Amino acid sequence: MTHNRRSSAAVLGAGLIGADLADRISRSDLLDLRLVAGRDENTPGLRRLARQGLPVTGGGVAALVETGEKIDVVFDATSALSHAAHAELLEPLGGLLVDLTPSQVGRMVIPTVNGPDVLAHRNVNMVSCGGQAAIPVLAAIARHHRIEYAEVVTTAASPSIGRSTRLNLDEYIDTTQDAVREFAGIRDVKVMVNLSPARPPVTFRVALSLLGADLTDASVRTAVDAVAAEMRTFVAGYAVAGCSVHDGRAFVALEVAASGGRIPRYAGNLDIINSAALRVAEQYALAQHPADQEAS
Amino acid sequence: MSDAARPITVHDPTLRDGHHAVRHQLGREQLRAYAAAADAARVPVVEVGHGNGLGASSLQVGRARLADDEMLSVVREALAHSKMAVFMLPGWGSAKDLRRAVGHGADLVRIGTHCTEADLAERHLGELRADGVEAHGVLLMSHMAEPDRLAEECVKLVGYGACGVGILDSSGHYLPADVTARIAAIRAAVDVPVMFHGHNNLGMAVANSVAAADAGAHIIDACARGFGAGAGNTQLEVVVPVLERLGYRTGIDLYKLLDAADIAERELMPAPPTIDSVAVVSGLSGVFSGFKARVLDISRREGVDPRDVFFELGRRQAVAGQEDLIVDVAAALAAKD
Repeated sequence: MTHNRRSSAAVLGAGLIGADLADRISRSDLLDLRLVAGRDENTPGLRRLARQGLPVTGGGVAALVETGEKIDVVFDATSALSHAAHAELLEPLGGLLVDLTPSQVGRMVIPTVNGPDVLAHRNVNMVSCGGQAAIPVLAAIARHHRIEYAEVVTTAASPSIGRSTRLNLDEYIDTTQDAVREFAGIRDVKVMVNLSPARPPVTFRVALSLLGADLTDASVRTAVDAVAAEMRTFVAGYAVAGCSVHDGRAFVALEVAASGGRIPRYAGNLDIINSAALRVAEQYALAQHPADQEAS
Repeated sequence: MSDAARPITVHDPTLRDGHHAVRHQLGREQLRAYAAAADAARVPVVEVGHGNGLGASSLQVGRARLADDEMLSVVREALAHSKMAVFMLPGWGSAKDLRRAVGHGADLVRIGTHCTEADLAERHLGELRADGVEAHGVLLMSHMAEPDRLAEECVKLVGYGACGVGILDSSGHYLPADVTARIAAIRAAVDVPVMFHGHNNLGMAVANSVAAADAGAHIIDACARGFGAGAGNTQLEVVVPVLERLGYRTGIDLYKLLDAADIAERELMPAPPTIDSVAVVSGLSGVFSGFKARVLDISRREGVDPRDVFFELGRRQAVAGQEDLIVDVAAALAAKD
């Protein structure tokens, strides 16, 4: 693996999501981490990354633009409220923008559902951690059944949810609902979010309830198991905690434990959205340097 | 008592918390009848909505018979003196729901978060303050945090714009000394009115409310006949005369309050809440009383003892909103048998 064949990458934001993403990029065979731009050099995330020898700045998006360097992939792990402005500033640099905020600006991507869309769009949006966990299952069930209503309840451990996500809860809900409508074709959708104060913290969990007259235990279980196996190819801790159908109502509980890396096991919400973001970025990088496909 | 004549604001969530006891099925005439009676008794604040607040009607916690808009417009029309309050949990309702509620004439908005998660309320409290709406920040499942931590969270709520703060004993777990310690810690930390909201699982709701008032609380929540989740809430028509006897002033007309409570019993509920076995266990285990109906349904389906389900939910520290865990817990217990 030669250095110059990798695609260059930068991360905006060094909160819980940005700092973990930087770790993952620094281990990627296909991406070369050039800069992590936070807004304050003294945040724990940026200080830790700097100690690891990764390139960091406290100068924010301006510092990234000022480098004048063409970056192939920029990940935005800041806030939904800032993303549109970031997209405008970074547009002239010409690379791919992978947005991890629920901004509803770029093309929404769920890797196992519409992964290849990353090749046709300059700004892709990773929806939300709950969306990344729920939508593959909802889309698979909806392919075989008429679903009248779907409900998604995500529960994340308090220490796994940073300030931007807390401020963006409304956007998180709207974006996830829109993505369920688009990718699963279910019009009537409700998304809810719990933050659990439990100690020790609880594993990230997404509970799905679906209403549909023709739902059966066997058909739902088959669809869910197939999706879980596919998800585990890039999110090792993706598990089905419950799956049942009673009186036209299906209930599926998914739990995602983080695996590897620095983030604690309970923080599967960070793991799944960052795994998905890395996956689409690597897909893009492979398309940029097709020779690597054979090498890797 | 040095401040024996101190006023206490009684806040009445009968038409919100009571919804838990009837699977969120109150209709227009029921809302209208009780709101008018509470208004006639000069109950200062009447709260209305789905049991889990604006936007919460769902399979997870139960679908309401009426839409939020309808509930608010009916109650607004029935209130001439009382303020109308609404409740919203970020993650369940959104800023859109708040704007609609304010549009319907809500005078007071409570934003609730779990006990250590005050910063989830930052944005909504900020927006309400910017719009000039009276907004309070309240902490649910407060028995899960120590007094100092609750005080810190209340300081944050005030910083975000709350002009009142408080704690809910969502599980009915407190004994009076627990309440005294928590209200005292919060009072020492903030300069805004402090609220206590009790549940009666262990028969302590009125005693706990008195402890809160004696520790300096300014706002006491109470429901007619205790209408509320599980064992019910602090009983309104009991706590008001008790507070008056202790020398606090509520401004409420006793006979009209008793009439309102009679109307509530007749019009709103099949039977007043009672401290049944499940309610005791839910209080002991520190699990939200609103889980009761689903725990009973699912325990029956799975053939397990609902008391075991509550204790296991308590061990897992389930919080209000995590009703989906009931299915897993009941299935796991059924598999063990």
